[in-house]
Amino acid sequence: MTDTATASGAPTGRLVRRLALYLALQGLVLLGCLVLAGLPAPEPSPAYRLTQARLASGDEAVVTLPHHLGARFTMDDPPRYRLTFEGPPASSGQAWSVLLPRFTNGVAVAVNGVEILDSRRTPSANRPDRSTPEIAVIPATLLREGTNELTVKLFVWGPLTGFLDRIYVGPDDALRPAYDRRILMFVTLPVVLAAWQVVLAVILGLMWLMRRHEPEYGALAASMAIGVAQTFVSAPSGQSVYAGLNAVLIASAPLESAFCVLFFVVFLGLRLPRYAAALFVPGLIITVTGLFGDLSQVRTTYLLLGPPTVAFCLVLIAVLIAIVFVRRRDVISLVLGSAVTVVLFFCVHDILSVLDIAKDRRIFFSRLSYSVMVIAVGIGLTWRFARALNQVDSFAGSMVTLVREAEDKLRASLARDEERARAIALSSERSRLMRDLHDGLGGQLVSIVALSERQRSGGAPIGEAARAALRDLRLVIDAMDDIGGDLMLALGAWRERIAAQLRAHGLKLDWRVLTPQGLPVYPELRPGHVIQIIRLLDEAVTNAVKHAHARTIAVSIETVPAGQGLSLGRIVIADDGRGFERPPGAAPAPGTGRGFANMKRRAERCGATLEIRSGPDGTRITLDLPARFADLDGIGG
Amino acid sequence: MIEVLLVEDDAPTRWRLQDALGTSGEFVVTAAATLAEARLSLGRDRPQVLLTDLQLPDGHGLELIRETRQRYPDTEIMVISILGDEDSVIAAIRQGATGYLLKDAFPDDIAATVRDLVAGHSPISASIARFIVRRTQDQSVPAVQPALNTARLTPREIDILWGIAKGFSYADIAGHLGLSRQTVPGHIKNIYRKLEVNTRGEAVFEALQQGLIRL
Repeated sequence: MTDTATASGAPTGRLVRRLALYLALQGLVLLGCLVLAGLPAPEPSPAYRLTQARLASGDEAVVTLPHHLGARFTMDDPPRYRLTFEGPPASSGQAWSVLLPRFTNGVAVAVNGVEILDSRRTPSANRPDRSTPEIAVIPATLLREGTNELTVKLFVWGPLTGFLDRIYVGPDDALRPAYDRRILMFVTLPVVLAAWQVVLAVILGLMWLMRRHEPEYGALAASMAIGVAQTFVSAPSGQSVYAGLNAVLIASAPLESAFCVLFFVVFLGLRLPRYAAALFVPGLIITVTGLFGDLSQVRTTYLLLGPPTVAFCLVLIAVLIAIVFVRRRDVISLVLGSAVTVVLFFCVHDILSVLDIAKDRRIFFSRLSYSVMVIAVGIGLTWRFARALNQVDSFAGSMVTLVREAEDKLRASLARDEERARAIALSSERSRLMRDLHDGLGGQLVSIVALSERQRSGGAPIGEAARAALRDLRLVIDAMDDIGGDLMLALGAWRERIAAQLRAHGLKLDWRVLTPQGLPVYPELRPGHVIQIIRLLDEAVTNAVKHAHARTIAVSIETVPAGQGLSLGRIVIADDGRGFERPPGAAPAPGTGRGFANMKRRAERCGATLEIRSGPDGTRITLDLPARFADLDGIGG
Repeated sequence: MIEVLLVEDDAPTRWRLQDALGTSGEFVVTAAATLAEARLSLGRDRPQVLLTDLQLPDGHGLELIRETRQRYPDTEIMVISILGDEDSVIAAIRQGATGYLLKDAFPDDIAATVRDLVAGHSPISASIARFIVRRTQDQSVPAVQPALNTARLTPREIDILWGIAKGFSYADIAGHLGLSRQTVPGHIKNIYRKLEVNTRGEAVFEALQQGLIRL
């Protein structure tokens, strides 16, 4: 286990400090429990309290209530407590009642010799582990003005000794509220909590059925199911046939606590030793004895094994949780530990009471505090469940992210593949076209050039035209090559072509790349754009060659800042000729006007701007490339 | 006098090239119109320069280039191309050519190119340089003919090719790369030699690449 590993890595001092912290917190919890246990149970006004009784069992003796009776079985000859009280004046017209806040195991109450209450007929009152109160209205006809006699027969059938708390006799209005509150606390609340346990038991049972590899749910479900059975199944008392069943029900507590240990061990992620099964042995022995043994055997077995087993299990749980808290210092084990401490406290409290060691009012809180633990466990499980869901969510989220990333990658790679396939198709188409042109048109044009040169006269224009056609052919083929948006690659080939052309005409080419990178890269650049730009530049150079009478043509290429972090490519072609500005009245050089219009049109198609300045000291054509080349649609040759 | 063997089947073109070389008086040109004539001439003596067209009536110029390269390793070979396209030029380079000549080149340029070649300056066009460097970048492109092995080119040689492809002058390239301007042509010649196949070095290199031999 990784937790063990980290814990063993932690210095001992820190562990001790954590343990001290844990114990201090549990001490606080115990303090709270003590305060709670010290709170008085709801009682009517002391004015109606009866504490003096004459106990008739064999000899008569005066006893003070609350009275602990040592006997565990009085069914044959129940002791009678005789009490007296002053009845109301006949004119009062008030209904009077007798309230017995607490007794074990059963009472029969008679007023002036007439029996008005037998608690044995109320099943919940027969459960010694519940502090069920009884109230009975005294029929008006029985009440006398002056002294009345109250007789209480106390039935005891084990396993507890007899007990009779103080009795209240008074107006029903005065007694009823205390009775109601006690019923709420000691009868209704346990049922409500048990109902809750039913729901939890069903949910946990289902969880276990669906997730067999998590036995903690099964263990807790079993524990709760036993607890629920113990709460709802109740046997009538006083009949020896069912006495065994009662014993079995009482034996449920040791079994329940054993299951609880099982749950906590698994829940906290500890290793479950094989001998943990021994925890179930006492509960099973009690059950077997309850089914087959006689009453005294049941009593002995239960008292010997029952409470000690429960206490042992609780202590074991408390220790385990403390260890886990010291190791991991998590909130859940702290909450669980506090709950277990509460249960442990009230369990000890109840055991002391049962064994008559603490002579108190015999009000049992074990069941109620057990519910507290159920709440804590419910919180723990819900917490864990929510956390597991969160983990699933984050896992699902990260999976979605991963899948999306993978999809994006796949899409990008598909796009790349498509792009590559397109490039390959273009390239092979270009190769095919090139072979065709090479073998056909190209060869014929070259022949024309060769033949024109052999003409003594008049051949030059023909040769020039054929050369121009060849240049154009090379331009088209060149433009079809995939240059990856780098216009510089197209300009490199163009440079060679015009260099040869200018050399032939005795012109000097001054080629300057002013920025190290030349031009920006235009990913949207297509062969159509390249053809437009190169033809435009070709026309500019041709104009200069034919009409400008220049000696040098300067081509400069640069990237200029255009504001807002943008930069634009710029190509300038300048000659040192005489320009195209003519004195007024003189005709412009033939073709130049149309040539400029053509160049402007080409620039516009690409989204570029063209500026032509011509003067006596030469022509300067500035082509500013766009930030983004215009779409090709509608662009003709 | 530089002995030149010119192999070109198209008569006007052949005359044109012959004239272009002949006028300067530096070259002795032997012209051949077919592969057979060319072989005959090669059998007689070793030319300093071979200029050959690729499409010949009785065979392919590449065969002639290969044979000449094997027989006369010192002969400079140039391919005569109509368009200067990589299809023909690269194929010729692979067989041992170290330059190309455009059929419609101006006479002065033709003579100058051959003169430079003899002086050890192999010409290389921007589009050929572009083709080669793009091969060095992306070997995964399924081979569009002609195939080219660029693995032996050094980064500096590739930088030089980039410069040429983008239209930079030798001086600019030398400046950018911190070289002497005079060494650039030598680098280009090296590039040509490295792209040539079927030399002994290439055979060893390819065997190494394929794991057939180990050093």
